Order: sequence, then structure tokens, then C-alpha cells
Amino acid sequence: MTESLNVTVDRRTGLAVIYTEGYINNQGGEEIAKVSYKLLDEGYKVLLLNLAGTKIVNSIGISILIEIIEKMIEIDGKLGFCCLTPTIEKTFHIMGLAQYAPIFGDEAAAVAQLPAA
Amino acid sequence: MEGSAPAGTVAEGWDELLALSRDEASERQLLERLLDLWCKERGAGAAGLYLERGDALAREAVVGDGLPELLETSGAADGYGSLSFPGGRLLFMPREAPGAALSDPLTVLLGAALKSCRLRQELKEQQFQVNYRVVELEALYDVGLAVASTLDLDRLSEEILVRAVSLLDARRGALYILEDDRYRLDRTFGGEAAPSFAGDDAELHAFLAGGEPAPPHLLPGARYLLGTPIEVESGPRGLIAVGDKESRRGVGPFLVPDRRTLSLFATQAALALENARLHLQALEKERLEREMNLAAEIQRQILPKGAPVVPGFELAGWYRPARQVGGDYYDLVSRKDGRIGLVVGDVSGKGMPAALMVSTLHSALRLLLDHTPFGPSLLERLNRHIVESSAANKFITMLLAELDPHTGVLHYMNAGHNPGILLRGDGTVDQLGAGGLPLGLLPEARYQSRAVTLEPGDLLCIYSDGITEAESPAEEEFGMGRLIELLRRERDRPILELLDEIPRTVGEFSHGLPQGDDQTLVLLRRE
Repeated sequence: MTESLNVTVDRRTGLAVIYTEGYINNQGGEEIAKVSYKLLDEGYKVLLLNLAGTKIVNSIGISILIEIIEKMIEIDGKLGFCCLTPTIEKTFHIMGLAQYAPIFGDEAAAVAQLPAA
Repeated sequence: MEGSAPAGTVAEGWDELLALSRDEASERQLLERLLDLWCKERGAGAAGLYLERGDALAREAVVGDGLPELLETSGAADGYGSLSFPGGRLLFMPREAPGAALSDPLTVLLGAALKSCRLRQELKEQQFQVNYRVVELEALYDVGLAVASTLDLDRLSEEILVRAVSLLDARRGALYILEDDRYRLDRTFGGEAAPSFAGDDAELHAFLAGGEPAPPHLLPGARYLLGTPIEVESGPRGLIAVGDKESRRGVGPFLVPDRRTLSLFATQAALALENARLHLQALEKERLEREMNLAAEIQRQILPKGAPVVPGFELAGWYRPARQVGGDYYDLVSRKDGRIGLVVGDVSGKGMPAALMVSTLHSALRLLLDHTPFGPSLLERLNRHIVESSAANKFITMLLAELDPHTGVLHYMNAGHNPGILLRGDGTVDQLGAGGLPLGLLPEARYQSRAVTLEPGDLLCIYSDGITEAESPAEEEFGMGRLIELLRRERDRPILELLDEIPRTVGEFSHGLPQGDDQTLVLLRRE
């Protein structure tokens, strides 16, 4: 368990995958937002958040993720999630994130389907 | 915005404004379009609409450059023109924009759009809170489900702590389990925690009860703490503590509803943890039972399968442990020279430790009997081996005898064991008494070998104290006297019948009380 969030990015053609490791709380959420907005500035309009390394997310982190989703909708981009724990996946469904950002079981499926989703 | 188009600047973009106002996703564009029109009408270079969020004003829409993203709610907007609306503000540059007044129709329109935006934000926030309450309820439900499904104590503990930290928007957390009257740290999240607390730590209990500050070393460095006990019906099982409630602006104290949420969560967690703990206990008990059964089987294997056939003699042995495995031992050995070895031993203590010593005794004695002539040196070597291979305070009493069937001479050595009873044909009794200390006490212990001759009709009974010390409900021991009396009374019965009769009579004497100690008998009669 780590309290801080590590974020790494894999820039691919037409899509960037953001990997998180740790707690998506206020600080973690802000870090994801910072990285996401930087990718948007670079011209990426399809972002995939791979949360395989994240076991915990709180309401502040969720509210920041919602802001990123809203931003993506505004620019007509796409954001997807993959590799969520069952608890986080259930939370995202309840909180309405899944309604605007598709959730995939694994990264390969997400990379294949997200751009056309 | 339905109806006929107004006159002036607004009229130019009326259709566009109407279209934007109908599309919820275009709210910001609508605000920006209105701001653009406002700037044109007022000759302003830049204008921004700000919405109250907590103790700050966040920019919702802007046209032009040079306006800040955030403003202090109560702060002055130095250098900018400013008009305040309920829940928001319009900022513009230059500050001298002509005709900028709240009564201006376009400004009114901006105010209305901002109000709509604010209401939508509030609705969104309320929806978020409602959804998050559902997440909390789901978490309680999930932990409740875990009562029936998750029996992995380690995984369950982690799940409980992570969910508590997450639900309370905490930055830190720790889970303690009560063991041996101490709250021991099971795991932490986000930083260190005190390793343990005394079960009756007054400061800790005052904190858990609410209102009192937490012990300073509970979550070192955390500014705000909340804790609750994990309790089942029979008492406390542990506690959960969380630290530093997060908001978008940093960390702050936990709120009153947080205490209730954590308490509810702890109630569910307590059931889940208790269930997993009981399951672990049951598994452990099952494992121990399996091991005990295996040990009992091993012990059965080292007992004689039957008595050697000795011409002119009747010989039989019997053994019943008080538990699954026991600390009594007997053996009947045909030696190469035709002599017969008889052994009854009793290891101090009961259960598995005693059974392990019985195994040690059996192996060592069998080896010695194969290579060492009967006599004190045999027992002395056995004693040294037992001293070296057994724990302190463990000892073995033993009566070891060797019969020469041709002569009827029985050599025996008694290492602190109950005296053997030799019932003579005329009814008199000789006792095969002690000739040395129990085995395992002193490495240099010495033993004496003595001899008696069994005449036709003589009956020898070697037994363990489980026979003579069996108690009646009045706590009276069966005793050696009753055993001798029984042997006298039943002496003419076949030896196997006698072997049944002795434990039956002892059982009657005990009136069905549980057998308190292992019971062993070896009977030898010269025909």
C-alpha cells in the first residue's frame, strides 16, 4: 500500500494510456488531472486510465475523475478505464462515471475498443 | 428564452443563444457567447463569470485574457471591474467599461445564466453526495456479505481498512486487533501507527468514546483523527482509526456523520472479522485433530499386536489412553535367547508431549534390548538417553522385567513405577518395588536389578497409576488394595477375561466418570 499516487504514461498512436499506482484521493486525482490535461494539450483525445495498481479511491478522487470526464466530453474526446478492482468498478457505476467513460476488463480490450466506443 | 428576439446586440445572436440554451452540454458556450456579447456592448476587452465554490470563486466562463481562474470570495477584485450576483460574480476589464450595471438587460441575462449554472452545479453536487451515500451503503453491505464469504482473515483485514479510509475520505488509517488484552497493530494505511496499546488504555478509550483527543502516537503526524471500537457481543475485538479527512482544499476534521458511518462500518467489520477468526480456529482445531488422530495411529502401531506365546505361561497386555494419545506405554518382547521382556512405562503429563516421549522411549528401549544384556547398565543407558532427549521436568516411571520361561525366574528393575503385584498361589502378595529414580531426572541415576521366581499358579500384575488412582464420585481412589483384592477374587479366570474384568471393575468404581489418566495392564501367570 502506498499513500501517494504514481502516474506513468504510455503514449501510443492516437491514444495514451495512463497507469496509476496507489491511492486516488485529492492529491492522486490532481496528479491524474495534470497528466490528462497535458496529454490533451499534446493533442491526445483518447485517454485510457489503467487502474491495475490502484486498490483505493475516495470521493475527492472520484470528483476529480468526473471533472476530467466532463473536460473530455467538452472537447469531444474519449476517456476509458480498465483493470479496476470489483470494488472500484462498482463505485464507478454507482457514481455515474461508467455512464460517460466505458470500463474494460483488460487493457488489450480497452485499446482495441475505446477509440471506436 | 422563448419568444420574440430583443432589440440591440443580443438580437444579432438570438437564434444561436436559443440553440445553446436548449443544449445542457453547451452551458459554458452559452455563457461565453453571452460574455462576448456583453463585452461588445460595453466595449470591454475581457470578462469572466465566477461561481462560488466553498471559500473561493471559480471561473466558469471567460472571454479575453488577463482574468484570474480563482478569486477569494471575500477578496477585492483590484484592477478589475466587478458586478456581484447571488452566488457569483462578473469580472471585466477595463474596470471603466461604460454602462456596466446590474440593471442592464444583458447583465441580467448573464446573472440568470450564472444562477442556472449554479443551480446545476448544486444539483450535481447533491447527486454526487446521494450517489456516495449509496457507495457507503454498498460498502456496509459488501462487508456484511464478507461475513458469509470471506474467511481469509488477512485479506479481510486489508479490505476493511482500505474501505474505511476510502469511505471517510481519510488520508491515513490503522486497524488494531485485540489479543491477550492488548490492541496490536494489524495494518496501517498511509503512514505509521503505534504498534500497540494496553487493552485498558484510558486515553485510547476516551478517544474511542468520542470527544477526547487521540493518543498522540496513534497516527503520528495526523492532525485530525477519528476512531471506533470493533465490538462483537462478547466484547471488543479491535479498533479502526482514520486520520486527516480530505477535501479539495486539503485536510480537515471529521464530521459528526463520519463517526456514525465509521461506527456502522465497524459493526459490520466486527462480524466479518469474528466469523473469519472462528473459521481459522475451527481449521486449526481440525488440523490438530488430524494430527492427534495420526499420532494415535502411530502410537497404536508401536503397541504390541499381541502377546508372545510362552510355553507354561499366560501373558497379555492392555492399554487405554485417557485422550486420543497417551503417555503410558507397554511392550512384550520375545528376545533371541527365548527370554521374554515385559515393560510398563508412564510418562509424566498427558497428550501430545507425553506421546512423543513414549515414541522416544519405545525406539530407545527396543534398540537397547537388542544389544544390551538385561541389567542396571541397560536402564542407566536408557536413562541418560531420556535425560538428553527430553524437556526439563519430564520423566518416565517404568517397570522393566525379563522372564526366563524355563526357570520361571523374573529379573526386574523398577524406575520409580508403581510396584508390580505378584500374587502367589497361596494368596500372599510380593511387591516388585522401586529400585531407582524415574528415568529422565538425573543423568547419573543408578538402578538395581532384582529377581523373583514365579511358581505355578502365581500371577503377576504390572499396571500404571491410571488403574489404582481412578477415582469414585466421592474422590476416593481405587487403590492398590482393591486391585489386589480383585486379583485374588478373579485369579482363576482365563487371563484375557481377567484383563477385561479389571478395567470393568475400575469403571464401575468410577461410576462412569471420565477416565482421568491412561490405564495400562500387563498380566503374566504361570500355569
